Amino acid sequence: MSGQARALIDSMSDQIVAEAPTLSFDEAFTLHHRAVFRTARAVLRDPGLAEDVTQEVFLRLYRNLDSTPGDELLRPWLLRVTLNVARNIIRGNSRSLARDTVYARDAIGDGWVAPEEDYERRLEIEEARRALDKISEPMRSCLLLKQQGLSYREMAETLSIKETNVGSLVARGRKQFARCYGKIGGKIGGA
Amino acid sequence: MRECLDEGVLQSYFDGELNRQTAEGVALHLAACVGCTQAWRELESEDLLLSAALEPEFSASVPTERLRQRIDAAIAGRSVAGAEQAKVVAQPGGMSAIPAGRGWVKAIADLFTIAPQRAFGYAGAVAVILLAAVMGGIYWQQGPGAKVTRGTIAGSGGFQIPVMPIAAPQVNSNADSTQQNRNQQQLATAVTNKRNPSTNLNQPGKSDHVRLLPGERSYLKTIATLSATLNAESSRQMKPALQAEYERNLAMVDQAIAATRSAAKVNPNDPDAADFMFAAYQSKIDLLNQVADSRLSNRQH
Repeated sequence: MSGQARALIDSMSDQIVAEAPTLSFDEAFTLHHRAVFRTARAVLRDPGLAEDVTQEVFLRLYRNLDSTPGDELLRPWLLRVTLNVARNIIRGNSRSLARDTVYARDAIGDGWVAPEEDYERRLEIEEARRALDKISEPMRSCLLLKQQGLSYREMAETLSIKETNVGSLVARGRKQFARCYGKIGGKIGGA
Repeated sequence: MRECLDEGVLQSYFDGELNRQTAEGVALHLAACVGCTQAWRELESEDLLLSAALEPEFSASVPTERLRQRIDAAIAGRSVAGAEQAKVVAQPGGMSAIPAGRGWVKAIADLFTIAPQRAFGYAGAVAVILLAAVMGGIYWQQGPGAKVTRGTIAGSGGFQIPVMPIAAPQVNSNADSTQQNRNQQQLATAVTNKRNPSTNLNQPGKSDHVRLLPGERSYLKTIATLSATLNAESSRQMKPALQAEYERNLAMVDQAIAATRSAAKVNPNDPDAADFMFAAYQSKIDLLNQVADSRLSNRQH
């Protein structure tokens, strides 16, 4: 009995040793899971898929905890992985994904996830998304990242572009957005 | 007059990204140049429009609790999966010895992967769990010879499941996170027994063994917290139809918990019995979370 207990305690202490770096992992999750999830949702327009992406991103962080950059470069690292994973999904690397997306949409269609009270707000989001669709990369990503409070340096790091170019990319993206959003808004308002 | 400001420089100035010297130069130029002042005003109004338009997208609620659970489960599954693969290799007969067991274990693994996160209306899935729990009870009573090995759950859960690769680790994790709970339970029991050997001798009762496990306690605590939060809210916030559906599902999940729990009680040494009980608890937590999330999004609007 005592031998068994010791074996169990040994395995537990192994677990504790193995979980030592999770302190910083926990911090990373607490600080950045919103940015990761929101970025994924903004790109994929599907909360279910955004959850999948968030899970994958933090799993990669967990696996590469020793080699990932810390401090102010962590968020760009996470968001770069987020955009990559999300784009892979959009490219349709997995056939079963389409089925899963349909499943998620059906669930939303049931009215549970999106109650009527949210209708107007969802309309606003939809309108902004349509305008964003008209903006080419990397301007679009610049706008998404800037909206979440990233600095030019973090944006440059995330998107692998020169920091000195970020200002003009943001400016061009913003102008395009204002043009498209106005148009779409006018159409909806007139209808 | 110096040449006019580049749109990128103006934007950088607006975003406070220029160094002090350059920023002073821009400020001086802006004060003197009508064209650039006009561009500045446009920038200000467009930025306002952009922020206002993107605000709903980025202020919509984030399912923190569920994400944390998923990631924890995935991590737990990853660390246990390797050990289980080794176990399967060590016991090559384990996979083929019980083909009938594999089928329904896999079916349940599928249900727990997809259903809880996707839809509120998964009463059908709960019904299957309930059925499986009853079947499981009969199954376990046949004795340890019919026991399903751990490797089987991992092996059947990890492959050929029609979900995307990203979700795949989670398939393992549902079973494995509960296994981790079980490990903790065994450890805690062992520690308790060590501390109070006399108590152990006096109370060989198996029901206490199930009742006292810390894994179950944390599930119950989570459920209690969630229920309290939900009860604190007015039930009027939910549409009557949804309220009814929620209550129906809740009743079914409770029934599943009761069934799996009694099976676990009868078979205290069977890891799979405990796994099914934890899985039933998890589906209740998922259900409560969905209700809470939905209410939250209602209220935010």
